Amino acid sequence: MLATITRSKAAHWLGRQLLNREDPKAFFDPLTTAINPMWVQQYTPARVERITEETADTKTFVLKPARRWGGFQAGQHLNVRIDINGVRHTRTFSLSSSPALWEDNGLITLTVKRLPGGLVTNWLHDELKSGDVIGLTEAFGDFLIPNGKKPVLFIAGGSGITPILSQLDTMAREQYPEPITLLYYVRTPSDVIGEQRLTTLKNRYPTFSLHIITTHENATPRYLSDQDLDSVPNLANREIFLCGPKGLMDLATEKLGQRGLKDEQLHSTFFAPPAPVRLSSSDTGGEVTFSASNLSVDSTGDTNLLEIAEAAGLSPQHGCRMGICHQCTCRKTSGTVVNRLTGQVSGAGSESVQLCISVPQGPVALAL
Amino acid sequence: MNTLNEQQLNELQTDLDAIRDEVLADLGERDATHIRNMVRLHRKLEIGGRVLMPFGFIPPVFLAATASLGLAKILENMEIGHNVMHGQYDWMNDPSLNSQTYEWDTACSSESWRRTHNFEHHTYTNVIGKDRDYGYAVLRLSNDEPWRPRHTFQVLNYAALSVLFQWGVALHELEAEKLSNGKSHLKEKRAFLKLAAKKAGRQAFKDYIFFPALTLPVAPIVLAGNAGANLIRNLWSSTVIFCGHFTQDAETFTEEEAEGESKGHWYLRQLTGSSNFTGGKWLHIMSGHLSFQIEHHVFPDLPAHRYPEISEKVQTVCRKHGIHYNTGSFAKQYGTVLKRILRYSLPERITRRPAVA
Repeated sequence: MLATITRSKAAHWLGRQLLNREDPKAFFDPLTTAINPMWVQQYTPARVERITEETADTKTFVLKPARRWGGFQAGQHLNVRIDINGVRHTRTFSLSSSPALWEDNGLITLTVKRLPGGLVTNWLHDELKSGDVIGLTEAFGDFLIPNGKKPVLFIAGGSGITPILSQLDTMAREQYPEPITLLYYVRTPSDVIGEQRLTTLKNRYPTFSLHIITTHENATPRYLSDQDLDSVPNLANREIFLCGPKGLMDLATEKLGQRGLKDEQLHSTFFAPPAPVRLSSSDTGGEVTFSASNLSVDSTGDTNLLEIAEAAGLSPQHGCRMGICHQCTCRKTSGTVVNRLTGQVSGAGSESVQLCISVPQGPVALAL
Repeated sequence: MNTLNEQQLNELQTDLDAIRDEVLADLGERDATHIRNMVRLHRKLEIGGRVLMPFGFIPPVFLAATASLGLAKILENMEIGHNVMHGQYDWMNDPSLNSQTYEWDTACSSESWRRTHNFEHHTYTNVIGKDRDYGYAVLRLSNDEPWRPRHTFQVLNYAALSVLFQWGVALHELEAEKLSNGKSHLKEKRAFLKLAAKKAGRQAFKDYIFFPALTLPVAPIVLAGNAGANLIRNLWSSTVIFCGHFTQDAETFTEEEAEGESKGHWYLRQLTGSSNFTGGKWLHIMSGHLSFQIEHHVFPDLPAHRYPEISEKVQTVCRKHGIHYNTGSFAKQYGTVLKRILRYSLPERITRRPAVA
């Protein structure tokens, strides 16, 4: 083991000396990928094995990542890397398959809903074909199933079901001993994602109760109600997992809070760009100094640092543009920024900030 | 210097900004494909050169290997490294083509290059005393700089600078001339020297120790071939760069002229302080499109392979504003560079004739 580490360190050092780069293996990528795109070293490649339609606007992509990919736990997500018109884009998606599929067959699935106007989701739907190769990062995220001592309630909305499908599969496989309930909110019956998987689970495991609730079948929408929660036995003791649009997440958090459930019992994960906190535009904005570029610009309102930098003609590295992937993380050398997801105000000193969700509050200096 | 009034300068800025915006709006697959093709070609040339070099005991193979490695270094330095470090491909969001992290195959560290070239040279282009690229502090190329006896044989300095070009560039930030006249102290340069030694050491280790040692029985051949490849690159890159700013009609400026200038005036200075040379597609690629030095100086962060098509529009703008567009064949432009080096090796009173500079 030690010998391997020493050897790889030495190889890495030598690679840096000879090839002038931190990832020497990727030096050969331009040649090797011309022969087989799966030989890329710069990121982990995955080949699209097949694509299936879940609903009119949702597809599941079955992917075969390179064997060096590190695997995942149910409920985690990963970043997908694709090039569209010469530009690399990174977006975060939940894994919808169970880890067992990866361990047994080397396959994973991503279930992606078309977002109106979304560049990447539409590209995945319209352009990606089986046989194509896309890039992946390792999985991350702490939306993980509990260790089997407590009953569980899942509350999902729309395509927020995707990490939960992975979790339900895994829990069923491991014969989770406590009752599991799923409240799944969809607009109409044709919007149900993974219907067959859910029905199979329900028929096979008596401890799993499934409630699919349609919200938009009548003139007045029917959202999460107190009756829905009343119908869940032993609610107070459950571990609760939330994934869905912000409206549903907020409503559920509020109602569960009123019933005295503790924060530790609630687990939630991202699903779509979280709606930004409404920042009062009077105290945001300010002069932004890009010290490495010798450039200073003024900003007003709730424009984030990434947009400010781009408007100033800079092209900082970036990914998801929604505060998840950390590709745009950059050193702030001074000044105060507001996190537009949480509304939290930073300290005034030097620290790393995510450009895409940081809004200046007064003058800010960045090492960019 | 060509004089335009404030309104004309504003108009010049508007005209050039329009060309720039048009390209920016059109960036995409085509540009990505170009730079990736260049990177792929570089890998082929470099690997080909390194693999063939040990067989250099066969003379034609030695020539092929040295040429291949030399071309690899030229392509990597000029069309890839220089242009990537200008941020020409940052919009691609590809970490291997990012201006801030790219490290090139030459003795000068990218960090030092970005400071001295991207900032100093591109901001203060041809401003005597501010743009240290103007004559590299060893050549007198304008009467704005007082004549000293040491300038008499500066053509020899020029030859030495060309042969050792990568080392000259690597030590550029040391500002040796300021050290010798006491304007700066070695102590302030400690951080730079550490960085320079690390990068230069890495380059020397690779070409002059590692690869020769790897093929020990033929080490002298590999050493000679690697040195030859570096020499080819040094001579070519120095020649291209000299043709960019030191041709007969390339203008120089005083600090007062550039002080507090408008963007329009900066554009004018870039247009008149730079010079192009003509040639075919591969001559342009091998010079990193610095054969379109004028376009490069006006738009340093637009992908360089766009310069040929932008050139037409830039010439139209120049004609409109009565600005001289300095271009000619490679031989003609280089001839005027040599003339300039010779001419300014002598004091003004000897060479005085109707104003050129």
